[in-house]
Amino acid sequence: MTAALECRDLWKSYSSKRVGLKTLLLRPEVARTSRYARRWALQGVSFKVSRGQGFGVLGANGMGKTTLLSVLLGIVQPDRGSVSVQGRVASLLELGAGFHPELSGRDNVFLYGSILGMRLHEVEERYHAIVEFSELGDAVEEPLRTYSNGMVTRLGFSLIAHAPADVFLIDEVLAVGDARFQEKCRRHLQEFRKRNGTLVIVSHDMEALAEVCDEGIRLEMGEVTDAGPIGDVVRRYQSA
Amino acid sequence: MIERSPWQLLEFLYLLARMELKARYKGRFLGYLGAVGLIFALAFVFWIAFKVIMGLDLPNYSVYLVAGLFPWAWMSMGVVSASRSFVANAGLIKEMGIAHAILPLSNVVQEMMHFALALPLIVAWVAIPGDYPPTWSWLWQIPLLMALQLVFVYPLALAAALANAYVRDIEYWLGIGFVLLFFATPMVYPVSMVPEGLARYFELNPFHALMECWRTVFIESRFDATHAAYAAAFAAVEGVVVWFLYRRFAPRVGEVV
Amino acid sequence: MSAHSLELLYLLVRKDLKVRYKSSVLGYLWALANPFAFALVYWVAFKYIMRVQMENYSLYLITGIFPWVWLSSGITQATRSYQNNASLVKKVRIPRAILPLSSVAQEMAHFLFALPVIVGFLMFAGGFELRASWLWQLPLLLAVQLAFVYPIALVFAVGNVYVHDIEHLVGLAFAMLFFLTPMVYPISMVPEGLRRWFELNPLHALMDSWRGVFLSGTLDGGKLGYAVACAAVFGAVAWLCYRRFAPRIGEVL
Repeated sequence: MTAALECRDLWKSYSSKRVGLKTLLLRPEVARTSRYARRWALQGVSFKVSRGQGFGVLGANGMGKTTLLSVLLGIVQPDRGSVSVQGRVASLLELGAGFHPELSGRDNVFLYGSILGMRLHEVEERYHAIVEFSELGDAVEEPLRTYSNGMVTRLGFSLIAHAPADVFLIDEVLAVGDARFQEKCRRHLQEFRKRNGTLVIVSHDMEALAEVCDEGIRLEMGEVTDAGPIGDVVRRYQSA
Repeated sequence: MIERSPWQLLEFLYLLARMELKARYKGRFLGYLGAVGLIFALAFVFWIAFKVIMGLDLPNYSVYLVAGLFPWAWMSMGVVSASRSFVANAGLIKEMGIAHAILPLSNVVQEMMHFALALPLIVAWVAIPGDYPPTWSWLWQIPLLMALQLVFVYPLALAAALANAYVRDIEYWLGIGFVLLFFATPMVYPVSMVPEGLARYFELNPFHALMECWRTVFIESRFDATHAAYAAAFAAVEGVVVWFLYRRFAPRVGEVV
Repeated sequence: MSAHSLELLYLLVRKDLKVRYKSSVLGYLWALANPFAFALVYWVAFKYIMRVQMENYSLYLITGIFPWVWLSSGITQATRSYQNNASLVKKVRIPRAILPLSSVAQEMAHFLFALPVIVGFLMFAGGFELRASWLWQLPLLLAVQLAFVYPIALVFAVGNVYVHDIEHLVGLAFAMLFFLTPMVYPISMVPEGLRRWFELNPLHALMDSWRGVFLSGTLDGGKLGYAVACAAVFGAVAWLCYRRFAPRIGEVL
């Protein structure tokens, strides 16, 4: 099986300096070197995910999971190392990033769909399926600011779920809607994998990870401290 | 709704103001010079455009400009940023039920702070050439005028914030409004240049009264009681009108932002 | 520009226009009312009070102010475009160059809506006639201004992410430039010695070109060439700046 996604020796650090005009003009050497308060978010992270595999990433908050996904997506450049991804990627790092409260659900679907990389005709083809999956009904014509949090997240997830993609990257957003809806989402992801789609999920929901993934890693302070079949990694994390 | 005492609100105001100071000047002297320098640069541009190119004949033109531009900047930037304050802090208003009135006040007070910080440079600019030496009277005239301006500007800021929450255009209208006012007050030429027929209307403009007060303090070291009284009267009327508007429209702000 | 990028651009501009005019009393009329109101204010101030002597002063103002508003508002809005869409930039992979472009495109849309009105004004208030030459001159100037404005917008947008002062500078800079371009008095009023400096200002070349086309149907090759040359330089600088700094925006925002 060809690797759908591979990370080789990823290193990423952050420095918390903001530069103002004065610093830039008067002390350019400070602005250039960002060696102040360097925090390593990722340290030598490497792993491979094969097509059709579900890959889970565990770890406490602030351990580097979101950074890892940002690097995989190409939003953030690693200091060292490389990433290669095969096929079309759809990501859900934050529900409704790009949603606008004044627009209707319908307008937001098209806008967000385009933001995710879909062509207008692709969104058009999937529109009814998306609305149905989200269980919004007529509310889809109302402005988004009238929606409850649950409705927004259901719409966002539904859009992602129907995006034509080979690889899904998901950050923490499996806890969407009520228990029944969550079950629906999990089943959808399992169907996706059966069709040879690749999943990379970051989550705290151990049950969901165990259901949907088969392998995984654990991140601590940006380092991979455990790897293997997801069941084992989860068990060891919970007993620690 | 959280119960808030006036002290708690004042503390909140203080925190907001401190945040703004930090953000604008980042604790460094050069940031302060930059902010103040920009307004001097604007005055310079007007000086070139109006005195050098259009041949405006006024002996103390640079002082005339500077004495007016800084209070004007305080007022216009205060009102314009206040107009966005409800919309920009929608989350705050909706979730915390914060006393609406304090947000526009924080904008006006922040601009007042920037003005106060600029005062030493303004005084230097006016005094150093020697034609308009500073006098002791400035020590009471300036704070008095600042208080007057605060009372004058705040109701406008609150009204702007309320209006903009309901009709989002308002912030764009305000932009035009202030340009109009800038020429109608007038800020870049003396009112003596205005043709006879129009001059009366200019005198009716309360903003003109306020700005003239500032100019007479810096240029003549005199407190212009008539204009000040007119501005104060206008501020009182504003206060009453806006109080009614606030009672009527403030409760629903949380729904429309 | 891929087809997808164009669609995304279209949707972003449509979103901004929809949102802006939804809770608006005047709707699209606003796009026209704003620059007209400015023109009116300056007309009264400069014709009657400053007594600028000039034939067809109102037309001089109108034909300059609309392109100016496109340029200055486009750049001012673009400067904050990454901050205003921070969640988009940080959480989704999009072609980042699109965001400042959508601000510029939005203002260009306003300008296009205003074109018929400007022409109408010229015809009815000034007694001017429709010119065939406009059919190629206007689109050409549109393209030149777009090529001129977008690189600046892009550089400021990227720059503002790293150095927040830029958004404060831009507003004041345009206020100053308005009087130095010059927009409210003819350049002939500028004394000899200073005039050369004014003519070096590429904004002057651009705005004067618009006025020339509208008022006399002439397109000054020299001015246009200068504007194009500047646009090319800005384009090169913007491309280098974007390549170097854009990838890290997601972290710095």
